[in-house]
Amino acid sequence: MDEHLLDDLALNNGLRETDCRLKLLLGLGAILICVFSPSPVTPIIIGISMLLIIVGLANIPLRIMAGLLLIPVAFAATSCVVILILTGGGEPLYTLSVFGFSFTATTESANLSLLLLARTFGAMSALFFIALSTPMIQVFSVMNDLRLPREFIDLSMLIYRLIFIFIGEAIAIHNAQVMRHGYSGFRKSVHALSMLCGALFIKAWERGEEMLIAMDSRCYDGKFEKVADEHPVSLQSAAAVGSYLVGCSILSLLLSGVVLWP
Amino acid sequence: MHIMEGFLPSPWWQFWWLVSLPFLAFGLHQMKAIVRERREALPLLAVAGAFVFVLSSLKLPSVTGSCSHPTGTGLSAVLFGGFVTSVLALIVLLYQALLLAHGGITTMGANVFSMGIAGPLVAWALYRAGKQVNLNTFINVFIAAFAADLFTYVVTSFQLALAFPAAEGGIISSFAAFIAIFALTQVPLAVVEGVIVALTFKYIIDVRPDILVKLDVLTQNMVNRLKEAAV
Repeated sequence: MDEHLLDDLALNNGLRETDCRLKLLLGLGAILICVFSPSPVTPIIIGISMLLIIVGLANIPLRIMAGLLLIPVAFAATSCVVILILTGGGEPLYTLSVFGFSFTATTESANLSLLLLARTFGAMSALFFIALSTPMIQVFSVMNDLRLPREFIDLSMLIYRLIFIFIGEAIAIHNAQVMRHGYSGFRKSVHALSMLCGALFIKAWERGEEMLIAMDSRCYDGKFEKVADEHPVSLQSAAAVGSYLVGCSILSLLLSGVVLWP
Repeated sequence: MHIMEGFLPSPWWQFWWLVSLPFLAFGLHQMKAIVRERREALPLLAVAGAFVFVLSSLKLPSVTGSCSHPTGTGLSAVLFGGFVTSVLALIVLLYQALLLAHGGITTMGANVFSMGIAGPLVAWALYRAGKQVNLNTFINVFIAAFAADLFTYVVTSFQLALAFPAAEGGIISSFAAFIAIFALTQVPLAVVEGVIVALTFKYIIDVRPDILVKLDVLTQNMVNRLKEAAV
């Protein structure tokens, strides 16, 4: 189970006090530049600079960061191999024959899979930047500013709160099951896991009923009042974010023709 | 597994966002009506959303040794209906992106469509149909959860195939290739998830069948029959 949510790190990160609209703008802007970039160079530059910001400014240990990034990049690498073989165009680069099937990588398919790998690296780093620098509480106030439906925001806040309670419950049940050899074989694992889900559902439901009583006794009238977590935008950081995004966009336009195999 | 951030090129990520939006709007509309009608529904929906999130972060026991996660949406679709599940899935995907860095923001439209709309709607329809013809409840739940899981991956393969058609054979052969790769791991996992969800149902019926009756998943008659059969 993923016991270490990124939110734990985000609550203590070095950029905690920075305005969250600015952080979201930086992260989302970088993601969009990566997705629209026609050349693999810009996403790689964005990815590296995002990692530097995460490690340098947000003070997230490099070891944790590298471990986190390994998972999506490994997934992306396998998908890129598929795309390398599937798509075509351009000159054939290399042909591999296995059991009578021949797989051919061409220049264009190689360019495409390299581009996708670079985009995933850049955009995932930017996503990690958002996840590691912006605690969810700050995201709610942005949702509020964006005039998203109130029910949706209330529901998101309640879910956010409950996730941590349920994960705690699930870990406790899981530990108890492990101590009784609940996962010592495949059949036992299936039974133990279903028992965990069933028990969790019932506990969750009872928790929901209790919460309703608690909310009723505090005069819940169908809406939550939110206290915005305001931090003034400093001109310096706004200028830094602006110039970073503009710089990356210009770079992306300049480098649009750069590919590994022309 | 969700499509990662940055993996879907334009115009496909915008396209899947546009496809998902009407479903999400309808789900939200339905949810608003439920909350307005019955005030107590909001905390219970929240519980459901958090449950789906925690369920989707559990590791499934797997035959092949690779570990994977259940989608959790099949159970939610059976319990709460297809459209409400899509709103819950949107919130769950947002949290998976922001708390676990699974999936992504631009690819969320595509992921919501596969995991939150296509899979749950199929599961919901199958469960309703099974209930009509008086299929055994556990078999019915198994089929619904199995189909939700499998259909999610069929749609994901289709999304990838549309974005990356093969040089020879175009979209169809690309779809076949993606689905063949997913099938290796996903068919056994879908079976495991189906069995687990069906057994989960059994535990809930044993302990708190009143919840299922209240949610209109089972009728009191069905619960009585199941309890008699178990004795």
